[in-house]
Amino acid sequence: MGALGALRTSNVIRFSLCALVLTCVSARSLPAQGESSPAAQFEKRRQRLLDVVSQERDRGFFTVTSKFITGRDTEWAMAMLDSLTTDEGIGGMFYSYTAIGTYLRLKDQLPDSIKRKIRQAYRTRTMYRGDTENHWVMYYTGIYLAAQTWPNEDRSQWFNGKSSTENFKEAEQWLNRWMNITSTIGQGEFDSPTYFIVFMTPVLTLYEFAKDPAMKRKAQMTADLLFADFAVDHLGGNYCGGHSRDYPDDIANPLSAPAALWAWLYFGEPKTELWGETRYHPRHRGGWETASGATSSYRLPEIIYRIATDRSRPYIHTETKRVRNIIRFGPEKNPPAYKYMYMTRSYALGSLQGGILQPIQQHTWDVTYISEKPNNTIFTLHPFYSGKELAMFFPEEQKFLSDEVNRYHLVYTNPNKWNSSSPYEQTFQHKDAIIVLYNIDKEARQSHIDGFFPKTLDERIEHNSGWIFCRAGSVYVAFFPLKPYEWIEEKVNWRWRSSVAKNGVVTEVGSSDEDGSFEEFQHRIVKSKPAFNNFDKTFTVHYKTRRGDEMKFTFGGERTLNGKKVDFRTYKFFNGPFIQSERGSGIVKMTYENRVRELDFNKVIIKEWQQSKQ
Amino acid sequence: MATIEAIVSVVLVLLVGGTAPPDSVVGNRGGEAQRSYYAAVFLNRGHVSGGVVSNIGLFRRSPGDTAWSNIYRRNLFTFGLGLWKSGSTTRQYIAAGNGLHRSVDGRKTWRVLTDWHTEEVLSVALDPVDSAVIYIATPFGVFRSTDDGARWQKKMSGMNSWFVRKVMVDWSDRSALFAGAEDDLYRTTDKGEHWTPLHVGVPGMEAVVQHPADPKHLLVGTSDDGVRVSVDGGKSWKEGKGLPNTAFYAVCVSSDKQTIYAGGYQTGLWKSNDRGFSWSLLWQDSEIEAIYTIFVHPDVPRHLMVGTSGQGIYESRDGGKTWSKFGLNGCHVKQIELYP
Repeated sequence: MGALGALRTSNVIRFSLCALVLTCVSARSLPAQGESSPAAQFEKRRQRLLDVVSQERDRGFFTVTSKFITGRDTEWAMAMLDSLTTDEGIGGMFYSYTAIGTYLRLKDQLPDSIKRKIRQAYRTRTMYRGDTENHWVMYYTGIYLAAQTWPNEDRSQWFNGKSSTENFKEAEQWLNRWMNITSTIGQGEFDSPTYFIVFMTPVLTLYEFAKDPAMKRKAQMTADLLFADFAVDHLGGNYCGGHSRDYPDDIANPLSAPAALWAWLYFGEPKTELWGETRYHPRHRGGWETASGATSSYRLPEIIYRIATDRSRPYIHTETKRVRNIIRFGPEKNPPAYKYMYMTRSYALGSLQGGILQPIQQHTWDVTYISEKPNNTIFTLHPFYSGKELAMFFPEEQKFLSDEVNRYHLVYTNPNKWNSSSPYEQTFQHKDAIIVLYNIDKEARQSHIDGFFPKTLDERIEHNSGWIFCRAGSVYVAFFPLKPYEWIEEKVNWRWRSSVAKNGVVTEVGSSDEDGSFEEFQHRIVKSKPAFNNFDKTFTVHYKTRRGDEMKFTFGGERTLNGKKVDFRTYKFFNGPFIQSERGSGIVKMTYENRVRELDFNKVIIKEWQQSKQ
Repeated sequence: MATIEAIVSVVLVLLVGGTAPPDSVVGNRGGEAQRSYYAAVFLNRGHVSGGVVSNIGLFRRSPGDTAWSNIYRRNLFTFGLGLWKSGSTTRQYIAAGNGLHRSVDGRKTWRVLTDWHTEEVLSVALDPVDSAVIYIATPFGVFRSTDDGARWQKKMSGMNSWFVRKVMVDWSDRSALFAGAEDDLYRTTDKGEHWTPLHVGVPGMEAVVQHPADPKHLLVGTSDDGVRVSVDGGKSWKEGKGLPNTAFYAVCVSSDKQTIYAGGYQTGLWKSNDRGFSWSLLWQDSEIEAIYTIFVHPDVPRHLMVGTSGQGIYESRDGGKTWSKFGLNGCHVKQIELYP
């Protein structure tokens, strides 16, 4: 028995021992009840998605797999697969896990010639590992499964000159490490409506095909964790609040993000089939990768479905994540990122604390609301860019980084961009109110701040009190700029712009549920006006919310709520009515009504129980 | 194998003797027909990172060739090269985005020596005698292997920043190394166990050079402050006069051991004839955004090449008076070498 075999045996024993102490373990979680049950509804959507994707002719492994599974157009699928395995120009981390995933999924249907080509790919192509967290997850998932599939092969049989045993061991170590980090201090590329897919898809592939029961279980638990993380920020298909990384189009139109299709599949929201809507582009950055969920045997625990969809009561949820690896110009490798979410049945207000938490694509805060119309969000940002910011995270020469990133991401240096981190932006949120302050350095390349206000708003009123009131259906937004501003009309939105370097905005959100009519909401809001005398020297804003809470916020200084200092360092890993976890514990507890599901990443066990109602 | 290496080591010690840079790690003399140019290509235009890239990796141009050909990996982000040679034993190294690659069979097959513990490998340094001792610079510090790349240990004691662009063995003392880090240039005299800052005075070490005729003569290119020079082994530093205060990624001592060249971000190519204390502009082309690397032919000092950002390689055969393109247009060329 080689080292690989020994490792597997060891894991089997370990896992078996763990299994003995399970209180209750079930991949399917809570039982399904009839055709209206979440499980039955999921099954319908799953079949529907496979049916739709199998009619597509996109060049990709997911389209091919869908065609084989449904038995539709298999001749074309075989030709496409042959093309994908013949084209030596394709490689890298995206190929690494999708090629082996397709192989393992379809191996009983594939001719030997195709199988040989897929095997050959891992011998001759560079499965480049990349430089981001999602790259490494994809890469090592692919290497793990490929080494598992072709064990006991020597170094000459692999593109990197490592044997099957060496590749398996390395991939196993890293995947375990990543899942441990993700379950204790969080992802670096956290809560991303776009990059969600490139974590979820390899994790589901790992779950599906890992032979080691412990790895399979850990992949299942990680899938649960990622879905639960999405669920608490989810509203009607929208991934709400602050994001580590997202693309401008998806920020400005949340339901166009790939995560929305995952929400449709697993949470059943939005109710409409997104690919039929103009506001969603299913091919948009790999949207069909959701088909990997439709082909997976992974089933979302019903408790996560409930967490994602029950909005009967507003709630506050906080999280601690981590900043992506900082390689220079920073005091520590992974400082914490703090998230705050206030969720209601019709809107969500969510934020990160501000500052540079991610390069390029950070989205710091927004209010996102349920709407039949596109562009259902409002937010502000400082469109910051600098080579030094990028050099914090990438090893290339600092002076080139802006140009290089701009070539690929197209918008990085654009003064009108809708995604950005900025060292000159900080937030303070309490429930449905948020203060966002800006203190833009004289040397900064962009000296203005922008706000996104969609044209799909039903009303946008500039009140003589200084407040700007917006209404989108039953959702109301009050927005108070501290400094002069202008409106710039654009295709889908009004761009609110203020070119004052020391600046800020106060926002409160309400709804007809809480505030009655729009007029009543306005009446309540105008009673309180932010106090910011001498702001250019103190950088301090006082604000008493319409609920009577007193917020005081100084840029670079303290945040106080009703006289008490708010300290982000007290934030837990997850803390809210639905998910609780201490940072570093490796134990994530989900709660819905009297049901509890606990993921114990230390022991690699899942427990479920019902607690007595209080 | 161990016996052969021991014999090789003895021969190398006799040859090197601590008086001049050993051929084992800096290139070899030989007939032109036996050598080819090798280029490390990091990026081509239009790409930062991702899955599918072509036209990057290790390239070769042999005598008689009219173009460069990619001989290893079409999508390998390549930061640098290294060669260890003794007698008929040759080991070539590639410092790349996914680790340190090594070939021991004349570039027919390669093996990645590092694993997930190291991220990008930005440069490689080789012990001139013991081929089993390898050093790499990474964004998270210097790593050392003493068993031919089987295991790696992080060696950062005494360093104040973990980003290290460049690591280099002192040719006069194989136990000593220099590490160009984000905050300073560091030196160790015990093979990386302990590092001491040399207090260059400005941050951002981009290029680190030790003069081949004088081990105490050091030059560093910095990320914002031109070139700094020391002629006392790093005890004191002086600013290279005449240079713009910007990034200098490349510093190179000519094979005549008199002239020193430097280039960087929007700088053109600069030349010094007084050990790097004062500089004059030799050549500038508005098409070239930056010079990443400078190559001087080991036998023909008038034969120069520069590797650029996005414009491939330029060549001059008259000491830098006139230049022409030498291929790899569109590529970011990080290093050029002439190897057997």
